[in-house]
Amino acid sequence: MAVIRNVEQDEHIEQLWYMKEQGETSLDFLKKAMKRDFDARIIEELFLRGLVERSAGVATIKLTADGEARARQLIRAHRLAERLIVDVLGGADVEEIACEFEHTVSLELVNGICTLLGHPKECPHGMPIPEGECCRQATKSALSFIIPLSDIKLGESARIAYINCKNDQQIHKLEGLCIRPGVVVKLHQNYPTYVIECEGASIALDQEVVSHISVWKNFKGAEGTDEPKAADHKNKAGGLKRFFKAFFKSPSIK
Amino acid sequence: MPVNHTENEKNLVSGLPGTANMKKVAIVGLPNTGKSQIFNNLTGEYNIVANYPGTTIEMKRSVARINDKLYEVIDTPGLHCLYVHSEEEIAVRDLILAEAPEVIVQCIDVGQYKQSFLLTAELLELETPMVLVLNSMDNSTRKGIKIDSLKLEQTLGIPVVESMSMRGLGKDELKAAIVKARHSTLDVKYGFRIETAITELAAELPFQLEFKHKIASLLLLSDPFVEKFLEKRFGAERGALIRLEANKCRRQVRGNIHQVFMDRRSRWVEHVSAAAVKKENTASEGFSYHLTQASRDPILGIPIFLFLMAVVYLGVVYVSGALDTFINFLVVRPVTGAITALSLPLFWNDLLIGNHGILTLGLFNAICTVLPILSVFFFIFGCFEDSGYITNFTVFSRRLFEKIGIPGNAITSLVLGFGCKTMATLSTRSLTIRKEKFIAVFLIAFAIPCSAQLGISMAILARVGLSAFLIVFGVLALCEMGAGMILNAIIKRKEESFFIQAIPPMRFPSMRAVFQKTYHRIVDFLKEALPIFLLSAVGLFAFDKTGLLGLTKQALMPLVVGWMGLPKDIIDVFLLAFARREAAAGLILKMVDAGALTYVQSIVAVVVTTISFPCVANVVAIGREMGWKTALAMTALIFVSSFVLVGALNGALVLMMGK
Repeated sequence: MAVIRNVEQDEHIEQLWYMKEQGETSLDFLKKAMKRDFDARIIEELFLRGLVERSAGVATIKLTADGEARARQLIRAHRLAERLIVDVLGGADVEEIACEFEHTVSLELVNGICTLLGHPKECPHGMPIPEGECCRQATKSALSFIIPLSDIKLGESARIAYINCKNDQQIHKLEGLCIRPGVVVKLHQNYPTYVIECEGASIALDQEVVSHISVWKNFKGAEGTDEPKAADHKNKAGGLKRFFKAFFKSPSIK
Repeated sequence: MPVNHTENEKNLVSGLPGTANMKKVAIVGLPNTGKSQIFNNLTGEYNIVANYPGTTIEMKRSVARINDKLYEVIDTPGLHCLYVHSEEEIAVRDLILAEAPEVIVQCIDVGQYKQSFLLTAELLELETPMVLVLNSMDNSTRKGIKIDSLKLEQTLGIPVVESMSMRGLGKDELKAAIVKARHSTLDVKYGFRIETAITELAAELPFQLEFKHKIASLLLLSDPFVEKFLEKRFGAERGALIRLEANKCRRQVRGNIHQVFMDRRSRWVEHVSAAAVKKENTASEGFSYHLTQASRDPILGIPIFLFLMAVVYLGVVYVSGALDTFINFLVVRPVTGAITALSLPLFWNDLLIGNHGILTLGLFNAICTVLPILSVFFFIFGCFEDSGYITNFTVFSRRLFEKIGIPGNAITSLVLGFGCKTMATLSTRSLTIRKEKFIAVFLIAFAIPCSAQLGISMAILARVGLSAFLIVFGVLALCEMGAGMILNAIIKRKEESFFIQAIPPMRFPSMRAVFQKTYHRIVDFLKEALPIFLLSAVGLFAFDKTGLLGLTKQALMPLVVGWMGLPKDIIDVFLLAFARREAAAGLILKMVDAGALTYVQSIVAVVVTTISFPCVANVVAIGREMGWKTALAMTALIFVSSFVLVGALNGALVLMMGK
């Protein structure tokens, strides 16, 4: 019974977080948003636990600092779960599983998932995922199967997992060049400027833009990119070798 | 003369004279997909074609006859999507929104069909009849991409034409398709909530507005330029109301609207591609692929760059030298001989072939000294443009430039400055950040020699010695770096900049296209510059005869002789430079040939004519891009700093190697 009470409390806290995102503080709004799930007794409990503060006169309600900390954990777990389901499991029915998930996982597990996914900043709906300790330390783990695009080897291909970017213009420009989640890109060059190949076009990107793009590690499946080419790309002379090889192979300049 | 569309909406609506009743055909597409070539094929006119994104900076209009009916055809700069990023893209969108062309022709580079289809998806939302042109089919078969144009036509429900525009193929098919252009049957659907929001918002838009549907969806995406567009057209009050309404509708849609739009569009693209595109296993990457990679490689890029510079230097010095001698032999000597033989009165003799004569300083200067150098330079520069090297050079050199305050996005403009500073200044329109734009415009105006000048400076310095060449270009490079760093430190950055640039593959330039381009540039040069050459010769002649020239020289003596260490006759050069810089440089060339300038003086003279002041056309371009106050301030700043710098340079050189 107590567990269920906790879940109900969490639902109220989450709703208060959504209201905070929208800049709402009225109790009526909360009642409307929660519909039949709204329970005045739970608000009372939250108040006693010091998670919410309210003013009776104008009927406003909002989270205290403690309440916000709790809400941040919940939302973080929820939205990371959505990412996990959409990116990894390819599922579409996100909401229900994510709702179950957020109440049952531990903080460490959430941080683990966050690291695996390469610290995503937005859920699949485009809502912000609150930062965790692991994001602030930018933990990189051998376990991560989503890594920054800049970490793949030259000449390798990778499928884009997501793009963490707040600048609308930048997203639209990338999108216009078909650089988007799900697309396979090949890294051609990483100095002095990144050059990737995407849907038949070569595109130059700066460090800043590349740092926003996360890809699947060890992607296999793009045609003819599986062979271990990495060895001759490790040194810069690789480019030279390739160039002369091509030069002597090709019969004419066309 | 192209019209300025960004600032002057009146021009925007009126278009060419006498075209009021014609149907309009707008040619649009991603950058570097062959729009200008299609325009040229359709209209028989010539608009510069090259292999880098952003060749066409301004709209160009002309008339084409299709089925005995006249159409107004408009060539536009490249467009990525209708949610715009840069001024040049706004210009294209505003053109479409304001003029509502009857037909939109979209050029598609088959090698990058998906990117193009994304734009198609957006253009279809305009609900204007469309035609698709599939370009560079030959290149893409090598890449293993085959688009079934018939299937594509069936899928989209609009005419699709295959074209190899470089060879002028597919022209008649395109004309036939323009007549048959129709609405598509396959629109992108954004889901119930967004569609409802768009419809509701569209219903609130002013009655007389075209493209309500598309404008409503842009408003939902909070595109700032479309809000401005509406404000300009319907007043601030109405604009504010519309914005309120848009905010209301936006709230109905949860989550990131941008994300939803993009997801739906890219699903649409996948659907269309699956229906009409066949991808075969790609052939091995050929020579051009490896050359492209090498040209932007941090190590291999250096010898390639130096090799190309050597080609320019040798071409300008030797080939144009030979041309010069040839024309001299063919025209100048016989004509001068004939006039001398006539033994005219002294005044007439002087007016024609004296030191400041119309023929000597005007015609001969233009066609014997300047023209050969220019033609060779235009030819080589044209090859560069066509080969796709310039953008690859940007990738190769970006970090270096950014260290000295030149943003990566501006490098192409700077390189274009070596062709024509005016066009380069206009091309900075694609820069979205004001600080970057300011720095680029200033640096283009400051110490970059334009083609006319560069060629002549090279020829001058080749006569004095390679070391002089290296000193001058070293000094100019230092000036640019210094200016870049100072400006970068002074101007505060407001927005965050990012660098995303599609790179065209390198190819062997088509000689036919390069010759055509060189020819058109030379003709333009002659039309524009020859009258000024002649007039300034007459002006200088009159100045000399009335004795004013002597007085001016006397007045400027301390500055020119004392501070800059130049002979006082160089004042002729400065006066000419006000009219046209290459005329002035041509005169220096003659002075060098006559032995009137020493080693140090030649260097100083070339530097001062290069940086002293931007030409009139350049100042006008700056005014248009940055406003007149800025233009005048920049000109004054350049003028003053150049004289300070040149004096210092003279001092340093004299100190190091004596007079």
